Formats: sequence, C-alpha cells, structure tokens
Amino acid sequence: MRKHLLALGATLALSPCLLAQKIGVINSMSGPEAPIGENITNGIKLAEEDLKKKGINLQLVWEDDTGKPQISMSAMEKLATRDNVVGVVGPYTSACSNAVAKLAEKYRVPLLIPAAAKEEITRQGLKHVFRMNAPADQYASSLIDAAVSLGKPKTIAFVYENTDFGTSTTKTAKDYVAKKGIQVVADEPYPKGAADYRSTLAKVKSKNPDLVFMVSYVADAILLMRQSKEVGLQPQAFLGAGAGFTTVEFAKERAISESVISCTQWTNDVNWPGAKEFGARYKAKFGKEPTYHAACAYASMVIMAETARNAGGDRAKTREGLKNGKWNGVMGEVKFADYDGFTNQNNHQMLVQQILSGSYETVLPSQFATKKAVYPFPKWK
Amino acid sequence: MAVFLQSLISGILIGGVYALIGIGLTLIFGVMRVVNFAHGDIMMVGMYLTYLLFTILGIDPFVSVLISFPLMFLFGGFLQKTFINRVLSAVAQNQILLTIGLGLVMSNTVMLIFTSDYKILTTSYSSSTIQVGGGVSISTPLLISFLITAAITAALGWFLLKTDTGQAIRATSQDRDAAQLMGINVKRMSIIAFGLGSALAGTAGALISPTYYIFPQVGGVFTLKAFVITVLGGMGSVVGATLGGVLIGITESMSAVYISSGWKDVVVFVLFLLVLLFKPSGLMGKSRT
Repeated sequence: MRKHLLALGATLALSPCLLAQKIGVINSMSGPEAPIGENITNGIKLAEEDLKKKGINLQLVWEDDTGKPQISMSAMEKLATRDNVVGVVGPYTSACSNAVAKLAEKYRVPLLIPAAAKEEITRQGLKHVFRMNAPADQYASSLIDAAVSLGKPKTIAFVYENTDFGTSTTKTAKDYVAKKGIQVVADEPYPKGAADYRSTLAKVKSKNPDLVFMVSYVADAILLMRQSKEVGLQPQAFLGAGAGFTTVEFAKERAISESVISCTQWTNDVNWPGAKEFGARYKAKFGKEPTYHAACAYASMVIMAETARNAGGDRAKTREGLKNGKWNGVMGEVKFADYDGFTNQNNHQMLVQQILSGSYETVLPSQFATKKAVYPFPKWK
Repeated sequence: MAVFLQSLISGILIGGVYALIGIGLTLIFGVMRVVNFAHGDIMMVGMYLTYLLFTILGIDPFVSVLISFPLMFLFGGFLQKTFINRVLSAVAQNQILLTIGLGLVMSNTVMLIFTSDYKILTTSYSSSTIQVGGGVSISTPLLISFLITAAITAALGWFLLKTDTGQAIRATSQDRDAAQLMGINVKRMSIIAFGLGSALAGTAGALISPTYYIFPQVGGVFTLKAFVITVLGGMGSVVGATLGGVLIGITESMSAVYISSGWKDVVVFVLFLLVLLFKPSGLMGKSRT
C-alpha cells in the first residue's frame, strides 16, 4: 500500500499538469462597484468551465475587495503569502489595481489586471504586473478621434467623477485635445454619488461646448444624461468613456441614452475568435448581456491558467510565460509589450460604439463597424 | 443669469427633500435624545418599498407615499418599541452602536434580498421638465416632490402645534421628566416620534427615487447629510431642519457653479463649521443647560 502511495506521489510530483493550478482572483463582488464586478466574476466562471474541459485542473481562490484599495491589498497579501497562488487575476477598479500592483511586485506574484484603466498602473516599470485592457489614454484618444472624424468640433467640456479612473482619463483626454486644437471650455470633476448635477450641467450648457466628455460609473451615467436632458444641454456629441456608459442598464434608458457615443474594449459583434460564442454562452448562462469587463476577465483567466500550467506552477516561469507569450482569443490578439513608457501592456484595439435604437452598435474603426454613426447628436425631444 | 437662476431653483428643490430627511432625524433626537445613525438606512428601506410598489403593483412613486408613509411609521414604531426603548437611559455610545448596528442589519438584509445592483425607477416623467423661459427649466419630478414635502411639513407643523398628541410630543421633547409627571405617556410619545421620523425618512426616499438611484448602501450618504442639516438647523428644531435642508441644497448647487463641483462638499462643511463656531447650538437651536 505504501509503495502504491509513494508511486502515486512521485507521479504527481513529476507531472505538474495533473496538480491543481492555484490562482487568486480579487474582484469587487460586493459594494458599490459590484454590478460591474459581477461581470468579471461571471467571465472567470466561464473561463473556469472551459479550462476544465481542456483538462486544466484549476483551483481558484476568490477574494472580495468590496471596491476598497485597503481590502484589495490585504487580499493580495493573503493570496501571495498564505495561499501561495501562482498568479492573480484582478482587481477591478483602478484605485484597487494600482494599490495591489506594487504588492504583486514586492511578492513577485504575476498579476494580470483585466479591466482597470488608470495609465500609471503599467507605467511604473513593474515587472510582475500585466494588463489586458487598453489604458485610459486609449479611451480618450479613440473617442476624440471618432468625434473629429465625424464632425468639426472646436470646443469640449469635461464632466467626470473625481476618482482615479475619472481624473486619469480626463487628464490624458485634455492633453490629447490640446494636440488636436480643440479648446477646453469646462472642466468639472464631481464627487461620486451626489443627487444633483443640474447646476454643474447648467454651467456647462452656458459654455455651449461642441463635445461633452463624461467619465463615470453606472448609476451616475444615467443621472448625468437625465439631467443633461433636463437642462437642455445640446452638444454635437456626448462622449462617454467606458464604464457606466457601456452597460445594458444605460442602454435600456432609451429616452436619454440614444445616440450617446462611447468606447469599449469588446463587443460581441467583432470577428475575434470565439467572441460571438462567448457573448451567446454568457447570455444563456447568466441571463444578461456581458459587458467588456466579462470578456476581459475571461481572456485574462484563460491566459493566466494556461501559462501557469505550462510553467508548472512556478511564479517566475509564469511571469516569463506571460511576458513572452502571444494569444488570440475573444479579446483579439493579446501580447504584453513594452511601448510608450508602458510595461507588460496589451496594446489593445479599442472600439467606438453608439447606442442606436436601444442597442450598442460598433461605429468605428470601420473594419468592425456594424452601423453608420449618427452625428451630430439629435435634438432632445 | 440663467445659470444663476437654474442653480438656485434646483438647489431649493433638492434642498426640500434634504429638509424632509433632516426633519425626521431632528424629531427623533428632540423627543428621545437618541442620535439615529440608521436614519439613512431607514430612508433606503423606503426607497426599496417604493421600488417594489412600482415594479410589482405599478403604483406611481409619488402616489405610493400614501402607502409607504403608514408602513414606514409602523416600521419605525416597531424599531422604537423593540430596540431603542431599551437603551433610552443607556450611555450615548451604546445608543450610537445600537443604531449603527440596526442600519447595518437593514442594508445587508436588503443586499441579500435584492443584491447590490443599482435599481433605477424610470417613470414617464423621470427626465421631463417645465420650461420657465430664459433657458431656465424645472425638473418635473423634483418640483412635485418639493410640493409634497412642503405639504407634509405643513401638516406636521399643524400636528405638532394644534393636536393633543403633537403637544404631548413637544412637551416630551422639552422635558421628558416633567412631561411624565404631567401624566404624558412618554413611552408612547417616543414610539410615535420614532415612527413619524422613520415615515418622513421613508417618504423622502420615495420622493427622491424617481430621480435618483437605489442601492443597499445608499443610506450612508444621506445619514451624513441628515446630520449636517440637523446640527446646522439646531438639534431638535423642526423649523431649523427645514431651513438647514434648503440652505445646504442651495449651497451645494451654488458652489458647484461658482467654485467647482469637486469642491461643493468642502464648501458645505466649511459653512457647517462656521455655524458651529459662531452659533454652536445651530441656527434655530436654543442651548440647553
């Protein structure tokens, strides 16, 4: 009997493929960011299913950071030291990711961030931090490029929440419009969760901007658009940078969301391998449309698990694997490269979309377009 | 000028709803000397009640006040009778811990039932406006809720000033022991006061739900707001709370326009500190020795 056990033990030790790959997940599963966090959770669950089918034995250690950086950091400490995971996928928000990134470097744990936008996260030369999604500068430049190609905007107003995500996106957007010769006429950061933005929007309206650029999470996006309608803010285009402007809840509010332009990391109508199927499966399993966060999380988990498996559960080798690897899946071509001051950043192609007849349609870049853009923004009814 | 008028109007209207939240809190404090840290969460319960009535029975949020007001009254009375009454003579820390605990239980129970998803009530008038001219518009739902608030405040004033029960509540809030010696059932008055306070918070929740969003943690924001309003107006003063609410609404709105939206909370708190500095008992408060 003992001989058998020894033999079994030896086989297990010699074939790391058979051992479970222990991978940590940090996500905002409760708290104010939970509605988007849910997409990430579901994306990872689908990835887990698919990896099992491929014979990859996965053991996920879930940590809920409730959207707070300090909790995120203690989760990372726990995963790195107590749970001894090979790598970590997450967290969701920029503030959490930025805090956790430095810890990942300290403990030498490969960290793959699926959907946080703040640029600095991959701009501080951290060797163990990888990012799937395009950073905030891409949000801004792709949206502004879209507006410039559609019309001749001369002035722009910024309305954004004063969080890491909001200020970082707006800062790069301001630098970018300066290059394009568009004048900034209003710059309004707001504290998240206020009940009344009417006065801010009335002030923006009085400057009569050609473009209104907004950055906010889900519920504020609806509130901001409702109140824009109330005060009669009428620009050539409303540009919503990701997050709240790319959710199904937002699209459902047809009276205020129609013709709003936003950008996204992913839609289910692109021709990336498996993207359409992913969208359909997600909807069948969870009963809702996935947001780009779900696709980012799915792709991140698949890449992390496969790389960890190939590296035999070794952290250093997993890092090498991520650094040198190349993938093609639901997020298109993925490669973690160093460019423009970024380290381990996937140079991801952003998509510009517009809500037309209540659903998101890709309008730019033209090779992925499903509909022609409506420009300028139609008069409020 | 249009921007000034616009922000003044929306400041006053949103201030009306703030006032309603503040009045509830000040009433509870006045009668029981208990600072109710669960006030925002009671308001959140009112919001979910409105949401349920709207989605299941299709009752308009403003009409649903007629149902949610008595229900929230019973809920508040229940809280008072089963929990708060036990700590009336306890030290202040214990009262605070109890109400914070109650708030946590409420928000987490709601989260278990409804998940943490944001709920948005969309009515036919959610983003409709009345054009006043000169580019100034008034949000229809906000105007209706302001009118309802005004009516409720007036009714409450009449109740407190003219009815026997109202006078007994006021007597209890002036001097609990003396009121008891005069034959007033202070325990019952406490239950009525807590019930009224909760009903007002719940109503504020109902009134704000067509224009705001609903989620289990929404209470925290409004608890803080209610405190500032109550202390600013003078603890225990209904008139003060009304004044405080409208003042805060206008300050928020004006500072968003003339300073910066990011700084409006700072302006509100600076104003708050100034009032405390120069009139520690609040605008309408009388210092108690």
